[in-house]
Amino acid sequence: MSQKMTPTAVVVGSLAILLTIVFMVVFWPWATMEDSPSEIFRSRTAREAAGRRIYMENGCVYCHSQSIRTIDWGHGASRIAQAGDYVGDSPILLGSARTGVDLSQEGGEHPDDWHIAHFINPRYTRPSSIMPPFAWLGMEQIQLLTDYVQGLGMKNADRRMERQRHWKQKVIEAYEAGPEYNVRWLAEQVPEGWRRIPNPYPTTEVGLARGHKIYQEFCLGCHGPIGDGMGPAQPWIYPPPLNFTILKDREISGGIIYYQLMNGITGSAMPYFKKDLESEKLWDVGNYVAVYFINQSDANGEPRGIDASNEP
Amino acid sequence: MPGIPTEELESHLTARAFCLTSAVWFALATTVGMMAAGYLIAPDFMANIGFLQFGRIRPIHVNLVLFGFVTPGLLGAAHYYIPKLMRTPLYSQKLGLATVILWNITLVTGVIALSAGHTQAREYAELIWPVDVMVVAVFALVFVNMILTIRNRREPILYVSVWYACAAVVMTGTTYFIGNVVWRPDTGALTGIPDAILLWFYGHNIFGLLLTPLALGVAYYVIPKVTRNPLYSHSLSLLGFWGLLVVYTHIGTHHLLQVPVPTWLKVIAIVDSIAMVIPVMVFLINIWYTARDRLGEIHGDIAGKFVFTGTILYFFVSIQGSMMALPQVQRITHFNNWVVGHAHVGVLGFAGMIALGGLYYILPRITGKPLYSRFLADLQYWLVLIGVSGFTVVLTIVGLIQGNAWLNGETVYRVLPEIHPYYVLRVSIGFLIAAGAYVGLYNVVRTLFFNGETERP
Ligand code: HEC
Ligand code: HEC
Ligand code: HEM
Ligand code: HEM
Repeated sequence: MSQKMTPTAVVVGSLAILLTIVFMVVFWPWATMEDSPSEIFRSRTAREAAGRRIYMENGCVYCHSQSIRTIDWGHGASRIAQAGDYVGDSPILLGSARTGVDLSQEGGEHPDDWHIAHFINPRYTRPSSIMPPFAWLGMEQIQLLTDYVQGLGMKNADRRMERQRHWKQKVIEAYEAGPEYNVRWLAEQVPEGWRRIPNPYPTTEVGLARGHKIYQEFCLGCHGPIGDGMGPAQPWIYPPPLNFTILKDREISGGIIYYQLMNGITGSAMPYFKKDLESEKLWDVGNYVAVYFINQSDANGEPRGIDASNEP
Repeated sequence: MPGIPTEELESHLTARAFCLTSAVWFALATTVGMMAAGYLIAPDFMANIGFLQFGRIRPIHVNLVLFGFVTPGLLGAAHYYIPKLMRTPLYSQKLGLATVILWNITLVTGVIALSAGHTQAREYAELIWPVDVMVVAVFALVFVNMILTIRNRREPILYVSVWYACAAVVMTGTTYFIGNVVWRPDTGALTGIPDAILLWFYGHNIFGLLLTPLALGVAYYVIPKVTRNPLYSHSLSLLGFWGLLVVYTHIGTHHLLQVPVPTWLKVIAIVDSIAMVIPVMVFLINIWYTARDRLGEIHGDIAGKFVFTGTILYFFVSIQGSMMALPQVQRITHFNNWVVGHAHVGVLGFAGMIALGGLYYILPRITGKPLYSRFLADLQYWLVLIGVSGFTVVLTIVGLIQGNAWLNGETVYRVLPEIHPYYVLRVSIGFLIAAGAYVGLYNVVRTLFFNGETERP
């Protein structure tokens, strides 16, 4: 056994190594790293900062990352993280797990009413979510939290929020003008070409079964189990989720439903599903809504293209 | 207590207190872990009770396993073997006991603060400033007691376990101070990307400079004792010790490979995560060669069994860790339950197993009586071993499902129903570990306080 390993050698030796390495891999990057803000950077408002505190206090960081990578396609992947995005963050909240989605570009993804319903209970807007409910925080804190997440993405978020506010006003006007007008107005927002397209695939038992399952996992909380718009999220959402039964005899084509599902209705709480559901699933759930709730489906109607090879 | 003078028994007061601390917090920490795992399958269950919500209790679980269960367990053993090896009593049992009491006050304060939402929200550095100060104070007190014991030694040469224990305590006190940015009481953080670099330098050091050296210290003590073989090589001990210190300290950036940190830091972190194979294998060769031909003795001794199993899981977790530091692998493993699996094999399978081994090694020796029940200790061994293996398998599968699905463009929400059954499995397996913790607690309490004269089956 080495005589040279005296207590002093052990203690001083290990401290010397540690401090040298702190200098190299912590101090040096800190001292030399470029810390100019990125082009989307802006500082947080007082309400956003208060919301961030609530975010920290409740451990949102253990389920949500705030760091988009080059390999991501999911939520928020419109912008890859840059060091200059974080220059105002102390502590930085990168997160190390994605039990939930990345939130670095969350601002403006949804209007405020969607977030409030979601915070009250995430199952209201996302039926198979495993995020904890936050109703116990009380409305005031939920509002602050909402302000914080709506600022995530900074200047990009501000642009998206502007869009949300612009369209929120329009959807409310349309809704308040009565169902007749609302349905027409909603349809008119869909590009002309889409409006004339029927659902190209025939109604089948399996297709409806798939549609049913997707409806349960994605739509139930807002539009309700019987499609009357009275899901548990309804009290928090304005304009309220659409009652599908009013769509009957109002020339709602498969194409309109498909487009609205794919793209969402910005301004209303109706989210887009293009990232969650591929084409066939969108047609399936759309036809499910048409057959069971609107009671009127144009599936496989005219004009038709060549039938797909898998059709029965 | 035939044959052993009471003064000598009393002289193990600190070690006893550490054992009890470790056993109690092990049980509580796994209970909290069960709740956390429960929320992931039933998010509405109890979750409207703010202070028990997932985001509040997850850091409680993690802080308790690290600072409540594993660290005190390993330090308990150190407070036994350092006086033994130095052939002198512990410098001060009073100071030792006071340290343990302060330690427990710190933990209780930390738990209450976290559940009330007082947190700095930096993983592994959540504790607020007053608690940070208490933690640093506790490590300082442990160090003082240790170094003064060593000063009084009647044995000139320091055995390798003593190096590890000393180095761990000194370096943890220091990295804890730096990593928690104690000089900034309000945030406890730097700003921007440098904060992430510092955080993971520190976070990684909790495993690398606290748990690992303390666990290796126990292994270096217990394995030669149990096998009654001399240590295989002292040169390897030296190489392993300094190698660990030099390499482990600067690979923390492998937690940030997909984040905009300077590329040179990532390169260092990746290269030296692979280089970790050297100190790891040097230690393992040394220990495994010491145990060679004596596996029967190890099997026959409950402490030996725990510690030896811990070394095997050390091999596993380190090789896995080196792989996880490769950017190509991390495209799939990062951000998901693969890492949680790795964390459980590391902290429970390696460090936790060795802590339990150390505990069972010293218990009969500090009480002067045989363990209350060898059967219960064996039962705990199997519960924990099956539990941690099960966790590893299940969480690795979940991680692969998540990682591959995301890489393939599926959304997080779409994958939730797919991983639900595995989350249910994780809870069921968790029951084994939690049961193991309670069985252990019962055994420790019986051994310390209510032990009859005769040994049970
Ligand atoms: C147990 C892990 C968990 C915790 C803790 C958690 N979340 Fe979530 N979160 C999720 C999951 C899973 C989703 C995806 C499903 C959904 O939308 O509910 C999600 C989704 C979200 C979304 C919606 C993203 C979108 O646009 O689809 C927001 C915003 C959000 N979380 C914010 C928070 C905030 C703020 C907190 C803390 C107060 C928090 N979360 C805590 C798991 C969690
Ligand atoms: C967060 C609540 C919410 C969820 C979840 C939701 N919707 Fe909606 N949906 C709305 C709201 C709000 C509107 C618009 C009401 C308005 O402007 O009057 C709407 C409108 C619609 C429309 C009307 C389109 C039109 O132009 O007439 C359809 C179709 C629709 N949703 C289908 C679905 C389907 C299918 C799902 C599930 C895949 C779903 N929604 C999920 C809230 C939701
Ligand atoms: C050679 C040894 C090791 C290497 C190279 C290594 C490498 C890694 C890497 C790369 C990660 C990050 C994964 C990611 O986020 O993608 C990680 C996480 C982790 N490691 Fe290790 N590891 C090693 C040994 C250990 C040991 C011995 C322990 C426990 C005592 C341990 C405990 C952990 C924990 C708890 C995490 C999770 C951190 C978090 O919360 O994100 N590791 N390791
Ligand atoms: C009853 C048994 C246990 C259960 C059910 C359990 C459950 C959990 C859960 C649900 C998490 C959070 C994971 C997530 O965010 O997705 C977690 C994290 C963690 N647990 Fe446990 N746990 C148990 C026992 C233990 C033990 C005994 C240890 C260590 C000795 C341990 C160490 C850790 C660590 C280090 C983390 C952090 C992982 C990371 O950040 O990557 N756990 N555990």
